[in-house]
Amino acid sequence: MTSVLIVDDELFIVELYRDILQLRGYRVTGTAFDGEEALKKYTASTDKPDVIIMDHRMPVMNGVDATKEIMKLNPSQKVIFVSADVLVEKEARDAGAMEFLPKPFRMDDLIEKMERIVSVR
Amino acid sequence: MTEKHDLKKPLEQFAFYMDLLGHDILNNNQAVLGYLELILAEPGFEKKVRKYAERAIPHIRTSTLLVENIKKVLATRDIDPSSLKPIDLMGPVSRAPKNLERFFPDRTIKVNVVSKAEEAWVMGNSAVSDLVDNALIDTVKLDPDRSVGITIKLTEHECGGRMCWSLRIENPNAALPPIVRDTEIESVHLEDSSTAVRIVGMLFAKMIASSVGGDFKAEDLRSNGEKRGVAFTITLRKADGK
Repeated sequence: MTSVLIVDDELFIVELYRDILQLRGYRVTGTAFDGEEALKKYTASTDKPDVIIMDHRMPVMNGVDATKEIMKLNPSQKVIFVSADVLVEKEARDAGAMEFLPKPFRMDDLIEKMERIVSVR
Repeated sequence: MTEKHDLKKPLEQFAFYMDLLGHDILNNNQAVLGYLELILAEPGFEKKVRKYAERAIPHIRTSTLLVENIKKVLATRDIDPSSLKPIDLMGPVSRAPKNLERFFPDRTIKVNVVSKAEEAWVMGNSAVSDLVDNALIDTVKLDPDRSVGITIKLTEHECGGRMCWSLRIENPNAALPPIVRDTEIESVHLEDSSTAVRIVGMLFAKMIASSVGGDFKAEDLRSNGEKRGVAFTITLRKADGK
């Protein structure tokens, strides 16, 4: 079962992803509301997620910086960047994100991208 | 990590708050779209309820497009003519059928392209694709029927002593709001903001075309007492050496 860490500062977005991903058979290992919390949880976790769904515009630490830090810890970590800021796509990919989805997107598109990057070894 | 903005300038202030509000609107659109998808995935709903949910989805896209357009209109004020690069109009034209289907899933839209050339390179930027997309979307919006037929004509011609490409979008079944027939598009918002809301796509198209040194015109296609018909013409400078 594919495991996922959800990082977004909006509770209603976190709940949406969690509801849909769990319904589709994914295991949500945790949630974080900013980049720093995500980094702390990722560092402390012994159960590393297969995929991280990462927002960009968040307090304390943004998604690009959080992705850079996570990639330093684990260069093979798979990150999907999801953001309403389309202009941040290049930065996100340079930081290590494998995929980028501009908000709003169809959840089917997110699932398809998750499946694709999980199958890449 | 934190961006600094000069909030003393009114336009900077507007751009800053628009950015914040736009971000929130897109997040809310994400939630609405996601939960509608969940509803549609439930097998128990009757056909009528499913149809209502399906009809809401394109409006989320329209709302998203409006936010994006406002951001782009704000960006046009900073366009440096030397930053323009060759753009092939065939790109947005070839994507048109799929793009329109995404925006209007409950309509049947046929797009007929008439062009002698396979490529039509103009001087512009990424907003040129948005310009074509918006003009196409508006020709569908102005058509009351579920079945829509659009013709896109591409022609190369001389304009003001140099070569240009014109992209003309015709829909014989659409109808322009009466005020657009009598007034220049860019003047409408000064007269009646409630009408301007209905033609915001045309206002946007005009602004983007002007920002890259081109033009956008909306005309009646009516002839011989016909009551309907709309033509939008986008004229842009041909890219040198293309």
